[in-house]
Amino acid sequence: MPEFLLLAATVILLMVAVGLVRILRGPADVDRLMAVQLLGTGGIAALLLLGIATSLPGAVDVALVLALLAAFAAVIFVTSLDSP
Amino acid sequence: MSLALLADGALVLLVLGLAFWVNAAASGFAAVVGYVAFGLLLALAWMRLAAGDVALTEAAVGSGATGAVLVAAAMRLRAAADPPPSWPGVSRPSTPNRRSADGRDTPGHDGGGDDLAPPAPYSDSHRDVPGHDEGGKPGLSLRLAALVLSGLVTAGLAGLVLWTAGPAPSLAEAATRHLPGLGMGNAVTGVLIAYRALDTLLEKVVLLLALGGVWSLTRDRVWGGRPFPRAIPAGNGALILLARLLPPIGIVVAVYVLWVGATDPGGAFQGGAILTAMWILVMLAGLRDAPPIGSRRLRLAVAAGPAAFLAVGLAGFVLPTGFLSYPESIAKPLIIAVEAVLTLSIALILGLLVAGPAERPPDPAERLR
Repeated sequence: MPEFLLLAATVILLMVAVGLVRILRGPADVDRLMAVQLLGTGGIAALLLLGIATSLPGAVDVALVLALLAAFAAVIFVTSLDSP
Repeated sequence: MSLALLADGALVLLVLGLAFWVNAAASGFAAVVGYVAFGLLLALAWMRLAAGDVALTEAAVGSGATGAVLVAAAMRLRAAADPPPSWPGVSRPSTPNRRSADGRDTPGHDGGGDDLAPPAPYSDSHRDVPGHDEGGKPGLSLRLAALVLSGLVTAGLAGLVLWTAGPAPSLAEAATRHLPGLGMGNAVTGVLIAYRALDTLLEKVVLLLALGGVWSLTRDRVWGGRPFPRAIPAGNGALILLARLLPPIGIVVAVYVLWVGATDPGGAFQGGAILTAMWILVMLAGLRDAPPIGSRRLRLAVAAGPAAFLAVGLAGFVLPTGFLSYPESIAKPLIIAVEAVLTLSIALILGLLVAGPAERPPDPAERLR
């Protein structure tokens, strides 16, 4: 079972890496924002899978904090795009 | 095991690739976006290294406070690099009365209201720095030198870690041996709050100093006023909904992170950073204005955390054995109480650091308080 979870985490990380192309190339800032949001979701998923597979203490807590603040980071970016 | 290696390899490649790109990014905003994503990947990497406390700090501070600071900085730099046409101050009403009342006419400032105008574009002030080209960016040779130097440092550290004979000396066993006496299960919290309490205390004082540094950038005219150029109007419906929905959840999570810090990854700083994010969200949505930095109550609250820590530490002189030591029977309640006060102070200080120096003059009524 841990092998399967590790494999799933790796696949998710690779998928997220594909999404990174949008952060790198843009072209608009909004594309970058969406890619970071995708990276946040994928990162949380990979963290949970890795944490369960290798029984890391506190992985769920870190995932919880990341999920809570993912929405916050999106707000920061969006309001900063709106305001100038 | 090889599968774990595969996952770790993918993570390392992602971290390195993103790090290179953040440095090479064309615009400041893009670099900030990349950096926030980098912090998230870094939290993952710390987790894989079984450093849960560091991962939690990286997650809470990296995607909370520093993200907000960096975005604000990127926006400000962008505005300074290409000022909108209305900025050079010609359309502003001049205020000769105020200036003569001040009696401080600095040479080089000839217009009445020109200290309202933003500073000159940053590229101008960098033009004379040696090793920098026209745009104010470091030249190729300087960048190559930096690359070689940081590569050498990394290689040196890797060499030290990989080629030392025998396992590295560790104090982990000595640290965990006495934890039950403190009622603690998390060695990191134990070290922070008990063994190296003086370091932790001084860290909080450093935060206070940082806040003083930020506030010292305030112009005399607006000293004691509120941060942000203008009161943020109540935003659109989605933002207000989020700012009402998320903080209650965030406060519960922050209290949980603080409480669980005794036995698992967590603690005062992480909890404080989460509270900060919630506070900034409320300010950004326009539900509450930022407090005036001259307010006495605010300053007392900012100093309360380090003061409480110091008071408990000094009480150690009178009661048991010495400065910053806890009587064993009430060690855990005392530590939790100190951490709770510290959490509130840290949240306040981080939030004020993000909000920045005052940019609006204080109300006359506030000046008296």
